[in-house]
Amino acid sequence: MADSIEAIQKAKKTYLLVFGALLVGTILTVLVATVPALDIGGHGFDIYDAILGLIIATTKSTLVAAIFMHLNHEKKLIYYVFFGAIFFFFAMGALFALSESSPIWDYNFYK
Amino acid sequence: MEIPYIVNPRKDTGLINSKIAIWLFLASEVMLFGGFFSAYVYLRMGADYPWPERTLPVLPGLINTFILIGSSVTVVFAWVALKLGNWRQFQVYMAITVACAAIFMVLKSIEYNVKFHHQAARLNDYTVVEGHLGYEKDSEGEYSLDRHGKKIEENMIRVVAEKLTFSVKRFHAPWVNEMLSEAKRNGSEIKLAEDIKAITEEGGKEEPLAKAGDPLSLELLEKIKQTQIEALEHNAALRTDALRLEWKEAKEANPGKRGWQLASDVNIDMEALKPRLLTEVSSVEFTVDPPTLLLFKPRDIKESPTSSRLRDDTVITGAMGASPMVFHNLDAIDFQWLVMKEKEKGISPEAAIAGSWLMKNSEFVREAWAWHLARNEKRQAELTKDYGFKEDGKTPKRTLTHKELYRLGWKDLGEMGVEKQQVKIGGFDKIKEEFKGPNYEARGEKTFPHISIPREEIRHAAKFTPAWNTYYAIYFTITGLHGLHVIGGALVLLYYLVFGRKMFLSNPEWFANRVEVGGLFWHFVDLVWIFAFPIFYLM
Repeated sequence: MADSIEAIQKAKKTYLLVFGALLVGTILTVLVATVPALDIGGHGFDIYDAILGLIIATTKSTLVAAIFMHLNHEKKLIYYVFFGAIFFFFAMGALFALSESSPIWDYNFYK
Repeated sequence: MEIPYIVNPRKDTGLINSKIAIWLFLASEVMLFGGFFSAYVYLRMGADYPWPERTLPVLPGLINTFILIGSSVTVVFAWVALKLGNWRQFQVYMAITVACAAIFMVLKSIEYNVKFHHQAARLNDYTVVEGHLGYEKDSEGEYSLDRHGKKIEENMIRVVAEKLTFSVKRFHAPWVNEMLSEAKRNGSEIKLAEDIKAITEEGGKEEPLAKAGDPLSLELLEKIKQTQIEALEHNAALRTDALRLEWKEAKEANPGKRGWQLASDVNIDMEALKPRLLTEVSSVEFTVDPPTLLLFKPRDIKESPTSSRLRDDTVITGAMGASPMVFHNLDAIDFQWLVMKEKEKGISPEAAIAGSWLMKNSEFVREAWAWHLARNEKRQAELTKDYGFKEDGKTPKRTLTHKELYRLGWKDLGEMGVEKQQVKIGGFDKIKEEFKGPNYEARGEKTFPHISIPREEIRHAAKFTPAWNTYYAIYFTITGLHGLHVIGGALVLLYYLVFGRKMFLSNPEWFANRVEVGGLFWHFVDLVWIFAFPIFYLM
């Protein structure tokens, strides 16, 4: 963490840069969703728009977590706690996905 | 008591305790919101109706995103100011952060308010109609008010009541009063249909509780209710005692046998008990003479042509009168679901729409649809011109979406109004529309006309609340929970701003650490919104 006055002053510039990046990211998300010329994939909302939107959102949230929440230079314990939660979030998603696809294999299904 | 490790880090973790605590809390928050976002994904994937994609107003959502991002910067700047020992600067940045939270909540409440007052109805053929309901007026043209003093929407169920049967235990007193005043206004009398006699003391004789012809009153219902409650309690106690005795005798007669082996033979001798029981009066019937018209909100009644039931189990016998849902302003016509349903039966979209109740019964809808079809042709031609055809040379690379093809939203109707009726509105009114939805006053009835839908044509109706569909259920769950986090976070930050001075002077490092912890929570609130905004507003 920035503790000396010089380091703190330097960090302020980084915060402003991140702020700018977040604004740009937000505008970009809206543009790809509303301007036909920037619409990737087919016309209107589809899986490609969802992926692109989520990539931008993930990038933005990574910036917030890394810079504003100081995760770019934290102690190990914080990483264990936070990334542990992220891991369990995906694990939960995987469990949901498993429940969607039937675990009982029906040999006659594709016949 | 001194709290350890609030200024200097613990040696083993290298962290102050409050920081570990907030991160553990944020980890649980990740799981909480993660669960709801997963629920969103599965609700969307499993939806058996056209998911309302890109249906929320983007501008307020976008402004709220900017506001939250901005507040994330100001909160971190407030912390920096504390690190530099500048109290004044801290105050300014923290005040901006709290102000941002307030603006966020104001915009959110406008958005919610619009949803709570916007009506939707799904017809029997799965056409969806949206708009704003009118209000009931009395014979003198004044708005009718309910018992809370609020205007009553033109969405009432009318029943010509001949008989009223109240559930003695469940009747809702305000409704009884309303029925009484309505009957009085119409010159009707509500009288007890038959004598009510009851045994009110063990071993006593049947005595009259009320006589046929007694007028309905809350006192009378309360009196019968009290008798009923006493009778129920008395009879239950008698039955329990009798059952206990039966068990005792059965066990004595069959030593060594288990309870389950005896259970089928243990029964209360109800005949023997009968003389000791009190009379239970579970419902009372009243006649309405002459039959009178009563109005009920749809949420309060399960209506049927001859006998309807209120939520408090009151049964109203009598014919249901015409009870249309009157849209004062129709602002969307949606055939998406109808087309989806009819396609499953092999019916073409064109035939399905042409056969819908709305097309058969509304001149405006027919005109609007003809305009919509012509415009869609132009839109498709433009898409084909811009993006060309697929390799087969026939199929256009880009085609209109299901929503564009089969839904006429309020913006489309506005466009039609401008084109066909030359209805134009000012810039301020247009901006207002971006926040509050269709501007009925400015665009008028030519754009958003009246329409009356018979009750029997309606399959389901609701405001745009969780009752409407799973999209709004998950939308309100996630954004509502997020809103609560904004309020909670803002209150903590406000506390630092108002009461932090003393701590700043006595222990500035500790105070800076506190603000950092509060700031971490605030960043998390921002982080959730970063995902919520594209998912709900843009996808």
